[in-house]
Amino acid sequence: MENMIEVKDLRKEFKSHSSRSGLKGAFRDLFTRQYKVVPAVNDISFTVKQGEMVGYIGENGAGKSTSIKMLTGILTPTSGIVRVNGMDPHKEREQFVRSIGVVFGQRSQLWWDIAVQESFRLLKKVYNVPDAEYKRHMNHVIESLDIAPLLDKPVRKLSLGQRMRCELAAALLHNPPLLFLDEPTIGLDVLVKLKIREFLKEMNEKYNTTVLLTTHDLSDIEALCERVVMLDEGKIIYDGQLDSLRSNWGEGKQIEFQFADTEVDKRALQPLLAEFDGVWTQGDRENVWIANVLNEEQVISEVIGRVVAAHKITDLKVHEISIEDIIRNIYEEGVTNG
Amino acid sequence: MGKYIEMIRIRFLMMLAYRTNYYSGILIYSINIGAYYFLWNAIYGEKSSIEGMSALQMTSYVAIAWMARAFYFNNIDREIAQEIKEGKVAVELIRPYNYLLMKTMQGLGEGIFRLSFFSVPGMVIVALIFPIAFSAHPATWLMFAVSLVFSFLINMQINLLTGILTFFFYNNTGLIRAKRVVIDLFSGLLLPISFFPGWAQQIMNYLPFQGISYVPSMIFTEGFTKPEIVHAVLLQVVWVLILLLPIQIIWLIARKQLVVQGG
Amino acid sequence: MKYVALFFQYAAQYMKTRLTYRTDMIVEIGSDLMSQAVNFVFILLVFGHTTMISGWSRDEIIFIYGFFLVPFAIFGAFFNIWDFNERYIVKGEMDRILTRPIHSLFQIVLERMELESLFGVLTGTAVMIYAGSRLDLTFAWYDPFMMVLLVLGGTLVYASIFVLIASISFWSDSPTSIMPMMYNIGNYGRYPVNIYNSIIRFVLTWILPFAFVGVYPAAYFLGREEWYTYAFLTPVIGLVFFLLSIFMWNVGVTKYRGAGN
Repeated sequence: MENMIEVKDLRKEFKSHSSRSGLKGAFRDLFTRQYKVVPAVNDISFTVKQGEMVGYIGENGAGKSTSIKMLTGILTPTSGIVRVNGMDPHKEREQFVRSIGVVFGQRSQLWWDIAVQESFRLLKKVYNVPDAEYKRHMNHVIESLDIAPLLDKPVRKLSLGQRMRCELAAALLHNPPLLFLDEPTIGLDVLVKLKIREFLKEMNEKYNTTVLLTTHDLSDIEALCERVVMLDEGKIIYDGQLDSLRSNWGEGKQIEFQFADTEVDKRALQPLLAEFDGVWTQGDRENVWIANVLNEEQVISEVIGRVVAAHKITDLKVHEISIEDIIRNIYEEGVTNG
Repeated sequence: MGKYIEMIRIRFLMMLAYRTNYYSGILIYSINIGAYYFLWNAIYGEKSSIEGMSALQMTSYVAIAWMARAFYFNNIDREIAQEIKEGKVAVELIRPYNYLLMKTMQGLGEGIFRLSFFSVPGMVIVALIFPIAFSAHPATWLMFAVSLVFSFLINMQINLLTGILTFFFYNNTGLIRAKRVVIDLFSGLLLPISFFPGWAQQIMNYLPFQGISYVPSMIFTEGFTKPEIVHAVLLQVVWVLILLLPIQIIWLIARKQLVVQGG
Repeated sequence: MKYVALFFQYAAQYMKTRLTYRTDMIVEIGSDLMSQAVNFVFILLVFGHTTMISGWSRDEIIFIYGFFLVPFAIFGAFFNIWDFNERYIVKGEMDRILTRPIHSLFQIVLERMELESLFGVLTGTAVMIYAGSRLDLTFAWYDPFMMVLLVLGGTLVYASIFVLIASISFWSDSPTSIMPMMYNIGNYGRYPVNIYNSIIRFVLTWILPFAFVGVYPAAYFLGREEWYTYAFLTPVIGLVFFLLSIFMWNVGVTKYRGAGN
């Protein structure tokens, strides 16, 4: 398989003004400005193979969208090499963007005032898609996304979920081998999310479309991506299988107790975990405490037994540590602690 | 009252942050004044006076009219239109302040910024390049300052009116633009009202526009006699009061419509 | 060829949208007419107090104004990108533009076109006919072609100045007030340049060459031979400035910082 995306030592710096505070500072800013060079993306390298679906995650300001914008040819890198689909995105922009589809969840690609199909027709001209191909491909897309009834409505009259499905169709109109999705499911309800995920899987299977997905909703990533690339402060802190993320950092179990007695606190509970190397954390409801322990039969049974013997409980749940918790842990503690 | 003063301050600071505006603005206004200076000199040619104004007075008139414009002019109408279109006004209405008063204060903050960083230094620069007559009487300066405040108010009220009209004409950029050119002509910015034919002057006496530019500029260039000054400033006051009425009425209707349409 | 087809596609779409908001269109044309009328009235008022301005008569000045309206209208229809900074840079619409396989400036021209501004071509022609008939101007067979050429030159001058200024937004993140002010400066090209002093005349000829939108080309039709050199330079200046502005734009795009940084 060939590489769809090749990134080597990619770097983007921004000059940012720092404004001085207060009235006096503002006056001084009038005449001299202080600049600070901030690397938004700090020498990152990775490759994506054709047909892969990769989750690209990180907190706000981690450099996600800056790097995506360099991959899509919107921004010029400060230094480093980007090859996407065999081209330099920024230098050969007009040629390059024919081979990609882009969905920015918070920014519409469609024309606000005109009917969806008119937007499609314009985009068809923009991308020079032949009639026959358009018909064959788009009929399928329209059907899979179930947007046929929306085509004659102006975009401003669509709900967010309807609009997102149309955005997705618009991004795929020229059947690009590579798709960039930036927060495609933000603010959508569960049904629409499921539909969009299903559709993306289908496109991936049918056309071997490569997908790079950024999202805050990790369930999207769990549903679609086998691999994740994780960014923090402009650097890649994890690049690998989603599964191994779980097996490396998510080995424990969480036992959630709801106590009948309102007096229970951490101090009273701590001795119960004494020799198990576990930690108590407070749950999100009142009187709920979670024991984080190793995933071993004996430990789990023993802990439950001790707790139940010592305090009255009204509810009990055992779950695996979620991907979200794992990632939160990684961000809080760093990769090395895992 | 504190929050309104705060709004003036915030807008002032916002303006300060945009230094390119500041540098380019003075330069461009000076170029404007310069161009009019040459145009008027060409118009005067050999004549020493037209309609009782000397060429020197005319130059001063043009300069002060433009520099005063820097103070009273703002884009609050466009801002209001934008906020209405984006549905932000509905949110603003929930807040514990009077929206229109807030907008006025923002305009004032902008005005004070431009007066101190634009008009005054601009006037100094212009006076170095072109011959401009400054009055030696403190009373003239005082009356000028007073009439400038009212010219700001009248212009602001007209801006509020055109802004609110966005509720009724969804896309009213055309109206806002038309208003701007009409004001430039009828306020006396382009040329003094006394240059209009008699019948047109008659009509303009019944319109608020000359209170925006003609009155302060004539006071500054000492083109008005004392009784004329008093009369003109009183007329400005009357117009500020009269204009309150349509603003309130249209605002009430607009709010009702807002409730019906839900933003 | 593709760009021409795209242009018509967009224009058709534009007409469709505009016809659904007919009142807006009428108000807009009305406001254009209004500002043209204001300028016209200004000239009339001034000539109520004098007969000549630096050797130009009332009708000559009216003719210059009429000519000016034509390239200005065409400019207004396609290059009216005064809100480029706010709309495309601050709000990040440029991101979207840059993900499409068409030259970015051309896309923006297509998206921002305001065809109703072309109404000014009619007004301008009417004003020229009015002034021309009072001046008893005569026209040769090739003059209509000259008209097209000089109008195109003037349009390019206007367009390139605005594209150049829009390009500044790629470097400077402050919203600039230069754009709206440029309209004011642009207006001075419609008065004879010999009323200004040499510095301003120089600026209007070589730096911000607005004189090539009004007085210089109009002088050709008025038979003012002393200005012919400048009149014939109009298309050259237009082309040179336009190429320069495209170059600056292309460099600017590589400096684009994206929104929200």
